[in-house]
Amino acid sequence: MREDSKPSHWLTVALLAPTSMWFLFMLILPLIVILVFSFGERSAFGGYSGGFTLEQYANLPSRLKAFQNTMIIAPAGTLLSLVVAYPLAYFLAVRVSRQYKLILLVLVIVPFWTSLLVRTYAWIFILGGRGIPTLLEFIGIEGVRLINTQGAVLVGIVYGYLPLMVFPIFVSLEKLDKTLLEASSDLGGSPFKTFMQITLPLSMPGIATGSMLVFILLMGEFLIPAFLGGGKVFFIGNALVDLFLQSRNWPFGAAVSVTLVVIMLITVSLYMRMIMRSKTGRDESLM
Amino acid sequence: MSKSNDDKPISAKKFMKEFRRYQKGSVTRRHFLGVTGLGTAMAVMGTAVPSLWSGKAHASGELGDRLIFSTWPNYHDQANLDAFTAKTGVNIQVNAFGSNEEMLAKLQAGGTGWDVFVPTNYTISNYVALDLIQELDLSRIPYYDAAANNPKFAGPATVNGKVYCVPKNWGTTGFVVNTKKIKSGPKSWKDFFDVTMGAGSGHTIVHDYQLTTIGAALCALGYSFNSIDAKELGEAEALLIKSKPHLFAITSDYQPGMRSGDAWMSICWNGDATQLHNDLPEMHYVIATDGGEIWTDFYAIPKDAPHLNAAYAFINFMQDPNVQASEAAVHGYAPTDSRAIALQPSSLASDPILHPAENLMNGLEFGAAQTLTDPIRAEVMARFKSA
Repeated sequence: MREDSKPSHWLTVALLAPTSMWFLFMLILPLIVILVFSFGERSAFGGYSGGFTLEQYANLPSRLKAFQNTMIIAPAGTLLSLVVAYPLAYFLAVRVSRQYKLILLVLVIVPFWTSLLVRTYAWIFILGGRGIPTLLEFIGIEGVRLINTQGAVLVGIVYGYLPLMVFPIFVSLEKLDKTLLEASSDLGGSPFKTFMQITLPLSMPGIATGSMLVFILLMGEFLIPAFLGGGKVFFIGNALVDLFLQSRNWPFGAAVSVTLVVIMLITVSLYMRMIMRSKTGRDESLM
Repeated sequence: MSKSNDDKPISAKKFMKEFRRYQKGSVTRRHFLGVTGLGTAMAVMGTAVPSLWSGKAHASGELGDRLIFSTWPNYHDQANLDAFTAKTGVNIQVNAFGSNEEMLAKLQAGGTGWDVFVPTNYTISNYVALDLIQELDLSRIPYYDAAANNPKFAGPATVNGKVYCVPKNWGTTGFVVNTKKIKSGPKSWKDFFDVTMGAGSGHTIVHDYQLTTIGAALCALGYSFNSIDAKELGEAEALLIKSKPHLFAITSDYQPGMRSGDAWMSICWNGDATQLHNDLPEMHYVIATDGGEIWTDFYAIPKDAPHLNAAYAFINFMQDPNVQASEAAVHGYAPTDSRAIALQPSSLASDPILHPAENLMNGLEFGAAQTLTDPIRAEVMARFKSA
């Protein structure tokens, strides 16, 4: 037995080596660099100069608005994506006949073949003055301004992130045992009750995964607010781009990054605990 | 290849057959690429993916096959860039930037891969101090004629007696007004901000560029465009933040917004104003009575430019007075080179947007070197954007 386990031990190490290296060099080390930078000072020409100061962290309140925007729009965007994605995923998983399923699924992915940048640029024209507002003028609604508003950013977010939400929910609904639905209606459950007590709880893993994917990416989003917010709807991601690529204040940028990472860790672990708790609760009740 | 073959694409079966022949060496690579259409496809992709395009095919192989060029939006005639590629086989990858600070940040971080870029007068001495650009070997730019360039504009190219760049164009920074929408005729930066927070609320663009946006606010308050005084900058920041809810956008790429009718007024460089005015006569350019910027842009080569030969060839090509004149006809910025000005049609040479009367320019300032690196200006701009 022992001799058998030896080669598999080496195999495990060999298989894990690339990921471990990746984590070490692309995640852990850069995080340490950022942490060190965040206690430094901005050098005279911009960039980083060594030192130990808490000045950067003390300056965080000056980016309060960007943190607020992100903390409000990222969850709102996640929720909106969920509301739009769920019926679509349900339709694809439960209602569509087999022969069309694949085609429709491919259609959900097709936009991913084009860069998000190009697709977001297209929205500038759709939401801009010559786009939807001109159409609205035809039916007598004038002076509507869509582009460079929070609404425009939300539209861009839902559009860009929808597939990330659709697929996990689709997968969990696909696995759904249809006989449970029949059993529920046989026992006199209304469609609404069946949905609330069977379909929704069983698709929770998909909802949790999808929301997580979208939320985490949204917290670092900068492209959509830059394009559809016109520099007026400013995310923390935009503040970071600005600090590194315009005002060249690396230490402060590092401090903002560290803060963002901490906020993410707290939010995500709270979210995980909530999901875990509801899951174990359900498992127990099933027993 | 016969005509009939050209009309329809190759079938999968034929493709595989030709591929096998090519693999076995029965046909040449050229035949294979030609008959399968891959050659044409590669030629088309060549501009987008220059590395696929074999540079050896060109006689002037020592220039390499590509050049990475960082410049500003709406600042070139694509026909001239194409002509350079056709002449030399060097494909140009163009990056557009909205501020000198953005260019500096990239160069400071290193590894840009840029061969040529377009810095503005006030940045040159900083780039030299930071050792980010190289001294030019003017013998490799025979089209450049120092004597033909007005020293008022070309001066900043020389630092400590060494020439680091050659002039591209000069211009002014004022604002453009859509006179169909704004009828009050704003004349100054003070008017600009009053209209922004009044009749034009929701329809003004300011640059995503500390020099011009903070400069405009400073002028509106009666201070110097170049101020780095903490108190004056504090007032400018307050004015900008107060006006922010009334802005349409903060961006240096303001033509799309102005053209779509979403924006009615924008901080503007004079050549962009010419481009807008040519297409939409209601667009009027204003040199503010309370100040603003006069500037020269240059061609410079970063210290670690990977395609140095191509960089010199490109700069020399762009210094050709004929090219300069045809560039100016498209982008609307005045050349600094008297030979190029002489080649311009008289309508352009006397154009008030390109060549404003001297008395209008009295209040304008060249950007000052310290504004590029001043930490307060950088932070004021960053705070304004995230407010």
